[in-house]
Amino acid sequence: MKIQLLKVTLAFCLFTTLFLFSACDRDTETFDGPSLVNRFGEFMLVEPLTVSRSTVDFDAGEEVSFGASFNKEVEWFVEIKGLESGAVKIVDGFSNELTDVNAVWEGGTTTLPFFNLERCAVELIIPTEDSLRFFDTVEVVGLKNYEGSLFTDFEQDLGSDLFFGNFEFEFTNRTGRRSDIPAGQGDFFYYFEGTDQNVPNFFVGLVDISAQVTGQTYIPLPSSDPEDVFFNAFLYTDGGPHGIAVIQFIFDSNDSGAFEDGTDQTFQLPGDFPLSGEGWNHISHPMSEVGITEEQLEKLVGLRILLISDMNSQPSPPLAVDYGIDFITFTQGGPLEL
Amino acid sequence: MVKKYLHLALLFALAFGLAGTGFAQVGLGSDKDKSESDKKVRFNGLGRTSIQQTNLDGPILDTLNGEVNQVTDGEFLLDVAINATPNDVTEVQGILRLRNELGGFFGAGQSIEVRELWARGIIADIVKYRVGDMDMVMSPYTLYMPIEEGVDNRAAIFQPQREIIDYEQFYTANNERRLQGAKLEMGLNFSKVLETADLTGFISRIRSTDFFTAPTRFVGGGSVSLISDRMRDSFGIKGNITLNTVHTWDDITVGQINSGIRNGVNTIAYDITVYENPNIQLSLNGETGFSNLNLIEDSVSVSEERGTFLTAGLSLKHKKHGFNVRAGYHDIGPDFFSVGAQTKRVDFNSNKTYFNRVGAQNARRTPGLFDITRDRALYSFQVSDRLMNYDPRLSNALPYGQATANRRGLQISADWVSKDEVLDLDVQAFLLSELRGQGTNELKDFQHIRANATVNFHKLTDWKNEYRLTLGSQFENTSRDGIEVELVDLSSSLIEVGLEAEVYPNLFLLAGGQFLSAAGNEYIPVVRTFNDVRDFENAYIVDETETLLGAGLKYNFKKNTYVTFQYQSYNYANALNGDSDYSLNQVFVLYSMNF
Repeated sequence: MKIQLLKVTLAFCLFTTLFLFSACDRDTETFDGPSLVNRFGEFMLVEPLTVSRSTVDFDAGEEVSFGASFNKEVEWFVEIKGLESGAVKIVDGFSNELTDVNAVWEGGTTTLPFFNLERCAVELIIPTEDSLRFFDTVEVVGLKNYEGSLFTDFEQDLGSDLFFGNFEFEFTNRTGRRSDIPAGQGDFFYYFEGTDQNVPNFFVGLVDISAQVTGQTYIPLPSSDPEDVFFNAFLYTDGGPHGIAVIQFIFDSNDSGAFEDGTDQTFQLPGDFPLSGEGWNHISHPMSEVGITEEQLEKLVGLRILLISDMNSQPSPPLAVDYGIDFITFTQGGPLEL
Repeated sequence: MVKKYLHLALLFALAFGLAGTGFAQVGLGSDKDKSESDKKVRFNGLGRTSIQQTNLDGPILDTLNGEVNQVTDGEFLLDVAINATPNDVTEVQGILRLRNELGGFFGAGQSIEVRELWARGIIADIVKYRVGDMDMVMSPYTLYMPIEEGVDNRAAIFQPQREIIDYEQFYTANNERRLQGAKLEMGLNFSKVLETADLTGFISRIRSTDFFTAPTRFVGGGSVSLISDRMRDSFGIKGNITLNTVHTWDDITVGQINSGIRNGVNTIAYDITVYENPNIQLSLNGETGFSNLNLIEDSVSVSEERGTFLTAGLSLKHKKHGFNVRAGYHDIGPDFFSVGAQTKRVDFNSNKTYFNRVGAQNARRTPGLFDITRDRALYSFQVSDRLMNYDPRLSNALPYGQATANRRGLQISADWVSKDEVLDLDVQAFLLSELRGQGTNELKDFQHIRANATVNFHKLTDWKNEYRLTLGSQFENTSRDGIEVELVDLSSSLIEVGLEAEVYPNLFLLAGGQFLSAAGNEYIPVVRTFNDVRDFENAYIVDETETLLGAGLKYNFKKNTYVTFQYQSYNYANALNGDSDYSLNQVFVLYSMNF
């Protein structure tokens, strides 16, 4: 009987040890599916909203982080709103805490315009908990430096570097540098307004901006590869449906170092820019889309910016059309990161 | 002799290499076959006629809009099996089905279809083969058709409907799966150490491709069973050891398909008698193994899961008193995945034949005891590629049978049949807990107890007529500790009572009932691909009772040929929402004939 029991034990050990080693691989530290607490648990605030600093100088490389913690993972938003510019930055996530890793503001914006030197309201929003909102403030004392080669931001008067082409006298006297509404960046932007009624031919007017505005003969670009260089600009529209913005890039065909209309070749994006939205919008396209070569890209002597009235859709008499433009830059490798 | 063994080994290796391995139940040479071996072509089959009228009633009915609450239907069905033995070692069979729905005339509701086709035979007096339709079973963790939920010891009153479901879905008493393909089997006899070795291999296609998203799916495998009574002489123990392997795989080379699965399960099952005398037999038995699940995209594995399981127990058999008891350890890993063993019979997503959607909101009615007892549309024999939905009221501890993953604990069972066969008792209990939490690190505990009893009163005396009482019960409890949102406490009980009285020779008075109650709360996982929990439905809170009662008569013309007339009444009550209460009443006549 003892021998039998010994054999039972041996057999049992044999069969179990064969597979117990693989059972050690089982992952039992985690659990299957989403957390029940996250899925069905009642939300509770563990630590309220905190802002890491009361003032921030983005120009000096500073950043602001936000803190808060909850008892469960939730979708959250931190909305930072410039109290003067109206700029908005959204930082969002899905977690049970806000830390200096997942809730950081480096001075950028989500909704144009850019922030100015101003006080900003900070609001923590948890969409699934409608009644829970937390507020704080932070003051911007230094603005973020954006990447890329700036062509112009209209903060200074362009003087003779800007040619005003009101050939058909259809621009209104409101056309020009303005600061009466928040600019896309800084204080000033360039505004076009007019009505195509004196010479009803779609064309309202234009401006030519010389590369001299940058202090160079040709527009300085971060790369000479058309696929690698991105044109960026902020366009302001007020919802009027009949305007079209046209932006042309002028190649110095005869190597004169200056724009000569009728001689130098122009390139423009197919489709142009319909102006049906409202507020500031960021446009960005690789220069390869305008059909320009690398050699031509290196000899851009200026930009031509036009206001067109879409007479096919205009009522009679035609309505005024308008738009604003600001912060024209060229970036490398992709669109300007706001 | 050596040469013969080599020859046999070569044959098996060829079969194994081509088709993997498997197990078979059928073959030439049965007594019936021999007695009719002089006939080249034989006809047999099944005929069935049923007519039933079903009424729906209760607060759930949308009476304002005149919702239909009565359905009368039925069918006339004839399955003709044509069996031929063109020679001594070959047999072929086809079953042709002629069916006409009640009220179907001039083509409407009529159908003629081929229900079954197969051929089988013996190669060189050594290897049995079968091609076409076949039934396969290996072990509860590899290839197996677990019994449906809601059944303990079904009363005879409900048995005719169960037989229809079993017949239509090819369910067998051996938990076999119906497949289409080919299998080979052979046996080797030994003079030393081993007594016999049974070798089986099979391959089957279980899904065809649509050339876009669903690849053709195959299942193949086999087993080697080493059986010996003489082992005892050599090693002091005797027993059976079976090696099983089953693989399910997709063919991703067809059409635009670029992804598919590989699911392999390999096990060792053993049943070793370690002590035996004329009265008592003590055995060590169980099965251990592992599974692999790979998701392949463009011939590269993008996801892999490996699962293991282990069951081991001791069985004690008292031969003299007909008493068996087993206690064992049960450990099925959380990532164990075996499509051939975990696919259930009841598909709770299927549309029901009767009153599938009811009420003003046209809401889908949850299948209840009434539907599970009689609605064959709920059942399937197809192999599912992910864990199917289940009803926690009926089975929450082991919804996918013994192969239910993520369970660890004890299994205890006992059965006893009295010498005079008056009393037949069996009880089974699982005391389990999860290995890995669902939605939390807290683990659920499960208690599952089933107990059945059959009392054959007629064997107490010299009564020629049969009088039988059947009792079945299942109790389950699921619980989980933790903070409020993690708490689980779900209890359910299912009780079955059946009475069978032969009031006149071959005329039986039948009565029976099923009673289900469930109360508590649980979280039901929503399973994504395979066995991955994607989410949980809203907290499952239940306080429901179901009652199914039936009474009727059954007259046996001869074995497997009978007519039965029954009335059944079903009530569903939801204590949390009385507006969803309803009842179903049904009268039906069924005539079934095997010939």
